[in-house]
Amino acid sequence: MRLDPKDLDLWIKGGHSFTAIDLRQKEQRDEMPIIGIDHIVADERNLPISDKDVVLICQYGLVTEGLIIEKGLSDAYSLSGGVESWNTFLLDKIDMSHWSRQIILEEIGVEGQRKLMNSRVGIVGMGGLGCPAAQALIGAGVMKLVIMDGDIVEQSNIHRQVLYGIDDIGSSKVDVAKQKLKKIYGAASIEIIDSYLEADNGASFFRNLDIVIDATDNNASRELIDHFSKEYNVPMIYGGLYRYEGQVSVLNVNGSCGYTDLFPDHGNSKNCSEAGVLGMLPGIIGNIQALEAVKIILGIRPNLIGKLMIYDGMNHKTETIEL
Amino acid sequence: MIKVKLKCFSQVKYALGTGEVILEIEIGATTTELEEMVRDRADGRLDGVGLSVAINQQYVKGDVVLHDGDEVVLIPPVQGG
Repeated sequence: MRLDPKDLDLWIKGGHSFTAIDLRQKEQRDEMPIIGIDHIVADERNLPISDKDVVLICQYGLVTEGLIIEKGLSDAYSLSGGVESWNTFLLDKIDMSHWSRQIILEEIGVEGQRKLMNSRVGIVGMGGLGCPAAQALIGAGVMKLVIMDGDIVEQSNIHRQVLYGIDDIGSSKVDVAKQKLKKIYGAASIEIIDSYLEADNGASFFRNLDIVIDATDNNASRELIDHFSKEYNVPMIYGGLYRYEGQVSVLNVNGSCGYTDLFPDHGNSKNCSEAGVLGMLPGIIGNIQALEAVKIILGIRPNLIGKLMIYDGMNHKTETIEL
Repeated sequence: MIKVKLKCFSQVKYALGTGEVILEIEIGATTTELEEMVRDRADGRLDGVGLSVAINQQYVKGDVVLHDGDEVVLIPPVQGG
């Protein structure tokens, strides 16, 4: 049976219980994540058993239609037109007045808003910087966010990592972050990767990203982000913190300065647990990173490409250095 | 002798105990010599901390001769996130 995007939308609005199964290959899923549907990923050879209505999803709706005929899945539905039709349907019917206050800005407008909604942003690290950056990006209408962190929530995180509360202690950061971000805008696609960035998982993370936010807390991870950012030509929004200060820069844009060019010798600088940080600082710096991400996606100038901005929260002074 | 203004951030600021200091250096002194002077003043508190350099809000690489009135920032990478 076929199910049109319009009918699926009525199911969702009516609270109809169903299991959506994305049968696409990882590359297609990365390139065009499904927005607005909670779904599971499966292989067509090992379809999960469900006692609910099953909606099979592929890129154009052809593979799933064929599969239903081939395997005699008479109770299953094929999403007509696949992800292509569904995402277009959903984006077309989204109430753009949600972002009316930023759409009236001449640098953004409806066209810019659609560009934001179609962009795919990765965040490495869902700590002090990652939480506010993700919050701001989902708020701004970025509909495809990929968040990566292998850490769990600890009590000492909560004063600055604004997506987490006492009840979340011990839970996976990316799991909790996804739940909280979905409350800001439920139709957004939040992909989670519950592990740290390593040399062997970087390629799949960076492929098909438009921007990566560096929200890590150590130089080794930053050097890895820098490496993959250069390799996949994905601009890197660097952010770092020290006590009352923060640094932000947009690196690796068409051959511009990268992290290891800026800091060829990072030595043994300290992270937040060693040096300390006031809770508001990551909020300020993480939001500036999100701001720069939006500016880069929309081509708004001036921006921090080829510049390092140092912000001193003690006296509210900034120093901007040309790189 | 010439005078340069050192603007201090993060570890450098805490190591020297000030956000800004005017330093007197020899005519023809370079960024490397300035960095050594600052590390001496920091009395071990900058040991092992890598520092990049900017002169007059422009990032520089290598050993660069300083001039009277230059504003210098020794930029430490900051790890926190």
